[in-house]
Amino acid sequence: MRFFKATHIDFMGKRKMWYMISAIVIMVGFLSVAVKGLHFGIDFLGGTELIVEFSQPPDISKIRSVMDDAGFQKAEIKGYGLPTRVLVRTEQQGEGTSIGEKIRTSFEKSFPELHPKVLQEQKIGPKVGSELRRNALFAVIFSLIAMGVYVAFRFEFIYGLGAVVALFHDVAVALGCVSIFDGLTPYTNFEIDQNMIAAFLTIVGLSMNDTVVIFDRIRENKKVHRSISLVDLINKSINEALGRTIITSGTIFVITLILFFFGGEVNRGFAFALTIGITTGTYSSIYIASAIALDYTNRKLKSKGATVAIQKA
Amino acid sequence: MKKNRGKLIFIIACVLLSFYFLYPTYQDYKLTKDGRGLTGDDSLKYFETHDNDIRDARAKRIKLGLDLQGGMRVVLEVNTLKLLEDLAKNKDDAFNAIIAEIREAAKTSDVDIIDIFQRKFQEKQVRMSRYFGNIRDSDDDIMKRLRDESTNAVDRGMEIVRNRVDQYGVSEPSIQKQGSRRIIVELPGVTKEAEVRQLLQGTALLEFKLLIDPDIALKVYESVDRTLAGKPVNDSTATDSSKAIADADTSKTDTSSIPLPEDQLKASDKEKKDHPFFFLARPNQQQGQAWNGELFSAEGDRGKVMRVLEQPEIKQLLPHDMSFAWSAKPAFIAEGKKYFALYGLKARAEINGGVVVKAQATIDPTYNKAVVTMEMNSDGSREWARITGANVNKRIAIVMDNAVFSAPVVRSKITGGHSQIEGMDNVEEAKLLEIVLKAGALPAPVDIIQQATVGPSLGEDSIQQGIWATALALALTAVFMVVYYSTGGMMADIALMLNILFVMGVLAAFHGTLTLPGIAGLILTVAVAVDANVLIYERIREESVTGKTLSAAIDAGYSKAFSAIFDSNLTAFITGVILFQFGSGPVQGFALTLMIGIVASVFSAVVVSRAIIEILIARGVHVKFD
Repeated sequence: MRFFKATHIDFMGKRKMWYMISAIVIMVGFLSVAVKGLHFGIDFLGGTELIVEFSQPPDISKIRSVMDDAGFQKAEIKGYGLPTRVLVRTEQQGEGTSIGEKIRTSFEKSFPELHPKVLQEQKIGPKVGSELRRNALFAVIFSLIAMGVYVAFRFEFIYGLGAVVALFHDVAVALGCVSIFDGLTPYTNFEIDQNMIAAFLTIVGLSMNDTVVIFDRIRENKKVHRSISLVDLINKSINEALGRTIITSGTIFVITLILFFFGGEVNRGFAFALTIGITTGTYSSIYIASAIALDYTNRKLKSKGATVAIQKA
Repeated sequence: MKKNRGKLIFIIACVLLSFYFLYPTYQDYKLTKDGRGLTGDDSLKYFETHDNDIRDARAKRIKLGLDLQGGMRVVLEVNTLKLLEDLAKNKDDAFNAIIAEIREAAKTSDVDIIDIFQRKFQEKQVRMSRYFGNIRDSDDDIMKRLRDESTNAVDRGMEIVRNRVDQYGVSEPSIQKQGSRRIIVELPGVTKEAEVRQLLQGTALLEFKLLIDPDIALKVYESVDRTLAGKPVNDSTATDSSKAIADADTSKTDTSSIPLPEDQLKASDKEKKDHPFFFLARPNQQQGQAWNGELFSAEGDRGKVMRVLEQPEIKQLLPHDMSFAWSAKPAFIAEGKKYFALYGLKARAEINGGVVVKAQATIDPTYNKAVVTMEMNSDGSREWARITGANVNKRIAIVMDNAVFSAPVVRSKITGGHSQIEGMDNVEEAKLLEIVLKAGALPAPVDIIQQATVGPSLGEDSIQQGIWATALALALTAVFMVVYYSTGGMMADIALMLNILFVMGVLAAFHGTLTLPGIAGLILTVAVAVDANVLIYERIREESVTGKTLSAAIDAGYSKAFSAIFDSNLTAFITGVILFQFGSGPVQGFALTLMIGIVASVFSAVVVSRAIIEILIARGVHVKFD
């Protein structure tokens, strides 16, 4: 079976349009982040979080009043996967695990007929929270730099730059989508937590994977076809690699989708970001990474060509 | 064919090795499942006969992270400020004011507390010797010492925590040091937070307790043994008593082997009946030596022994001032079982560990043996001289939180407070004793800075979902590969299955931990593994179009696809390394499975699938990639 016979699509011809589209998508995402803000997870915020299961779906407003009475006025309360499960979170800090116990006992007192059972409890001290935040930021920045350096070293400098811009683009789009979809449906309550950062780094890895395959083709074709122009070279390479790109990305897309629907509550945000990331990662290797390499080289050639022309005249 | 023989053998070796490493995981699953169905005596018997197997499988299986099996994870941090406060003497208002300022400063700063501490003292131009050390000490000397104390506090805290966790009886606890000030404690299956908080945070209690005289202890133990056996208690049987010990010892004249299978079962049953107590707690008398007062029990029997000693009719046989404590570490290991020593101690401590001012593990130059020197303050020294003077040739146990770390014999009266403890097997043991001795006097104040408790039911749900998602992803991918690449796809599928096997095998071999994000990593591995094959097959298709023969196309496909596979997987691997470095807990589990998966998938695509394809072609099988 074969989906693609040898294709001759002029990918690079429409790159200006795609630059615009990318810029718009990122802007919309950032706008959403600015307006809606991001929900940080307990590991970045610090505080205490409990996931409680009741024998029957509880009344959220009553939970809120119980929490208020217990002294946690600003607590966050939301459903967690099943209607019988509720996540409560407060940023208040207390000694040891005292806050968790306080919440637990007030639940047991207020809902004896619903048999509240704590499925999971987490406490993160304020220092740990800020440390994890810093580590997460470092990890993302560091991985972008490492990828850029690697590609610049294995290919050419400009390819490294193109790759990094593409990666930045992918993470930005994924972050924007997380913000846009967060809270839209009961299934899409996304938080920026350590799992999400792991997803971003995986996006970096997968998108890089895709970019490198195309760059590898360009590198190879460059040796064989010395006479053709860079636009044709890049177009040819992308077309040749297209079958692989679609098959691989398609497979990963289906797999992350499975993870999103069946992988459980904990992995959901992670899977969502990955699904977005694999899509933009595939797109960006063509329209961002390769296109930037093309435009940069063209500009360099043009300035050189100009000097040559003057001399001739 | 010949060039592939080596490869084939290597591949089969890898497969067998993976099965070998995964077998304990399967064994553990099976034993647990079989054991769960049994009740009462059956269950007891089952666990007794399979004790060794279960332990062995447990130790070697793939561990499940706390997010999957439930339990508590606690991160403790040494409270340096509190430690400094505790170390200071002559505390006055000026000192308290400085401490308060440091506390404020520490809230908004990431700088090490000790550095802030130094700065504040310099700002105020207060000499540190006012509160620490000697009047002659310079600030630099004191700072160096305080820094050392703060580093040592972590080790102390760890030892205190480990000791308590061991006694609390958690299976497979993990206690690790993170950085220079943190301790990560993982307690699978434990969800009682209040108890654990108590367990981890209280101050350690160090005591010196006299051992009950072995002659008296022996009589007491014998009467316990007889009472349990249902015989009348008779105190005037000194001759009989030595026989009882001899009897109890016959089955184990050779300490290193305690085999109890078929032929010996009868003898052991008889012994169990005649000497029920000594059967559980054995007085391991060495020939030609006086009994030293210690009884030895297997790790799993300690609870039973303690229950026996708590029974009212047994309790009345014991001297009212007798208490019991187990050795903190196993005394010896036989037949894969750890044996702990039981000490009969005077209930009242002779002296409290607070009097110890210094302890140091060193090598005694004369005998070239590890020793620990210990110094006490002046009050302590006076008391110590009296105690040691009155108990020459008797043993005094060093007990922390009711666990005996050492029970040296008093050689002579010790005046002046300088003691030397000998008899350690190596420097590590001496170092441990040093830490324990210091723990009594110097606290190791720790704060819980991070805590997570996961109930077991949530974990079970997650495992179910994870298995389903992985199976579904695997099945869909496998079917697609066959449909799209026909025979080649089948080879890729075999490589894919082997890939999963290798990842699990490596995880088991390195005693890795499977976490929930780790399962996600495993699913992604499927994707990564497919990619390498797709790259190769697409290349082979292209090459065949140019009119090459099949095997030439395969050769070209593999060699041309390699650079892309190498570069793309290496970059993905680098992100895995970064994630492992900066992530914590479950996220590291994800990074780990992803990294193993990347390596395994390159291997299975480049080596395994190729070898299989070439062998098939050599055998004349028509291999297709369309």
